[in-house]
Amino acid sequence: MRSILLISWKEIRQRVFNRSFVLSLILGPVFILTCVYILVKAADEGKKNVHVLIADPGDILQGVISSKEDPNVQYSFVSDYLEIDEFAQGKPYQDFDALLEVNEKVLNNKKVFIFYRDYLSDPVQNSIRFTFERRVEEVLIEEFSDLTVDAFRQLKQPLNLDFRSIMNPTNSNEGEAGWVGYFFGSIIILFTLFYGMSILRGVAREKANRVVEVMVSIVSPPQLMMGKIIGVGAAALLQLVLSLVLILSGLYLFQEFLFSDFFLNDSLSGVQVSEGANELLQHEFQRVRNNEVIHLLYDRINLTLMLPFFFLFFLISYVFYGAFFSLIGAAMGSEGDGQVLILPLVLLLLFSLFAGYFMVLNPASQFSSLCQYIPFTAPMAVMVKLSMGYAIGEGYLLWISFLILLLSSFLILWIAGKVFKSSLLSFGHRLSLKSLFRWRTRT
Amino acid sequence: MIEISHVSKSFRRKSALNNVSLNIPRGKITGLLGPNGAGKTTLIRIMNLMYLPDDGFLKYNGQLLKKDHLKNIGYLPEERGLYQDLTVQEQLTFFAKLRGLSNLEAESSANYWIEKLEMKPWRNKQVVSLSKGMAQKVQFAVAVVHDPEFLILDEPLTGFDPINIDLIKKLLFEFRDAGKTIILSTHNMQRVQDMCSHIILLNKGKVVSASSIEDLFSGFVSNHFVVRYKGTGIAFANALWTDFELVNQVELPGGVIEARLLKRGDKSVDDLIKNLQGHVAIEAVQLEQPNMDDVFISLLENLENE
Repeated sequence: MRSILLISWKEIRQRVFNRSFVLSLILGPVFILTCVYILVKAADEGKKNVHVLIADPGDILQGVISSKEDPNVQYSFVSDYLEIDEFAQGKPYQDFDALLEVNEKVLNNKKVFIFYRDYLSDPVQNSIRFTFERRVEEVLIEEFSDLTVDAFRQLKQPLNLDFRSIMNPTNSNEGEAGWVGYFFGSIIILFTLFYGMSILRGVAREKANRVVEVMVSIVSPPQLMMGKIIGVGAAALLQLVLSLVLILSGLYLFQEFLFSDFFLNDSLSGVQVSEGANELLQHEFQRVRNNEVIHLLYDRINLTLMLPFFFLFFLISYVFYGAFFSLIGAAMGSEGDGQVLILPLVLLLLFSLFAGYFMVLNPASQFSSLCQYIPFTAPMAVMVKLSMGYAIGEGYLLWISFLILLLSSFLILWIAGKVFKSSLLSFGHRLSLKSLFRWRTRT
Repeated sequence: MIEISHVSKSFRRKSALNNVSLNIPRGKITGLLGPNGAGKTTLIRIMNLMYLPDDGFLKYNGQLLKKDHLKNIGYLPEERGLYQDLTVQEQLTFFAKLRGLSNLEAESSANYWIEKLEMKPWRNKQVVSLSKGMAQKVQFAVAVVHDPEFLILDEPLTGFDPINIDLIKKLLFEFRDAGKTIILSTHNMQRVQDMCSHIILLNKGKVVSASSIEDLFSGFVSNHFVVRYKGTGIAFANALWTDFELVNQVELPGGVIEARLLKRGDKSVDDLIKNLQGHVAIEAVQLEQPNMDDVFISLLENLENE
């Protein structure tokens, strides 16, 4: 055991105490946080400072519209007809992004046009539509009813016949949540690929410079293999944990200082939501107001559930794939050898990414169910499935996936140990499946 | 010390060792000789438990050789290998710990060998930046850093300059005098003759000879004579007649010529002197001492003839 720990510690030191590790530790989270920032800003783009001119010759809106509901959209009124050409070319109108034309018959024909200069994003369109409809509604109530606005809105509520799956009674947005699982699964796959290749290169290099001859005169080949897998895995885990800490800290700082406007508690302070507004209206209002990326990042990720299983499956899938990579590294005749077996393994990892993508889009398909039990795809499949939520009473499926992956890892470790033992001192050959099988059976 | 009993090993039906039985004497330097492919490396790897024999067994100090014994064995492989990105100090400490030394012992032993092998200025240099000779010293230190009682050294002096060859040879004699057992595998016959008290000769996976140098040489008589004379070369050549063949000759100071002759048949020194008398002035005649090259080639030739 001491030998394994010594080899592991050497591998950790070799990988952790160097500039490239520190650099990737900083650059990785910085890259992800930059992407998050760009995505949030991109999703929010178009909301900023949109100035809408309302041409209301019939004074139907009476010069009133609530701009409080979205501070990013400003409204101004003109009481004359405005030709589109005049709006497009006229100097006084160049500061306006869109022209909302309220014709005099709007209360009857319910037809309104809005002409924009640059395409308005969906959130902005929703915001304008929502604000305008509410104002027209107020005018209609005032004109045709004795009811108060709140009372009218209570009456107006449609009957909400909500069809829900018994597998998802809370009607949470599975697809959206699935992408969160896909993100975690992808992290597992990418780290496994990166550090698996690191094991392979390490073993191949040690074979090439013949230090394995000295090593196996001191420790057994399986001990050497385990030392490498544990050491490289610990370095990977360290990088993963530190990266996550940095990313989560970054997201927290973003929440506090950069994205504070997006959070409901803050934004609600400037909004008047009538007390009678029901859950549906609240939700609709929130969707209009909130940024989708922010919503996904800060509301949809259940970290307390995802993180423990993420680390558990990361570790086992790393051992599973790591054993494969070390096996190929040991069996290689030279540093440049082994492409014939590396490629299928990399393709299997990439297939996992595809399987996860397919699962998000088709969570109920048979293929999605099958992927949970195939060790190669299980880490990704479980992450996606976990983020979408297991149905009540089906939580045990996660543990079946876990057990299959665990047993497969032990099996591959055992086979890799045998190949390691037989092939580590063979040099100069060309690696083939045949030779691999021969080494597996040789003692 | 090490007893090898009826050991056989094959790779894909190709026999590398065939029923090899040997005793490696304690406190001696034993030369392990043999042409390429004789089975030396396989035997060395079996002694390090890197391969398991198909048949037979090995004993270390009377016990079946097992993993625990490896901490008493030092191994210097022919194909040198070190961790290129570790410093000299880290390299030695790592291998010392791996051989079972405590952290403190490992540090202390690494320091000892760094000083002993005159590597202090390179202590914190990575192996990749060392010269070949310096890397060889580190490799040697790796083999001995845990103070083993049994050393297996495969071509230990290759790559060293004459000064360092002398340094390593002195160290090996020190080890021997301290009671350590050393196996020296080399193709350099002169080195075997200089350093070893025993030899093992392998050929085609079998033991051809295993004995002390004295025993080996006592059974081996040279066919060569060395003669020093004054006179003409033609007269000397004529005097040899058909009984002796002139291999080569060199002129020494003072008009003396030294000639090396190969005898034919069972001719003796007396026959040589009789042939030469009256033709040249004989200064000295002696039977040439056999060397390891001759013994090695002769033994292998005998084997081929059998």
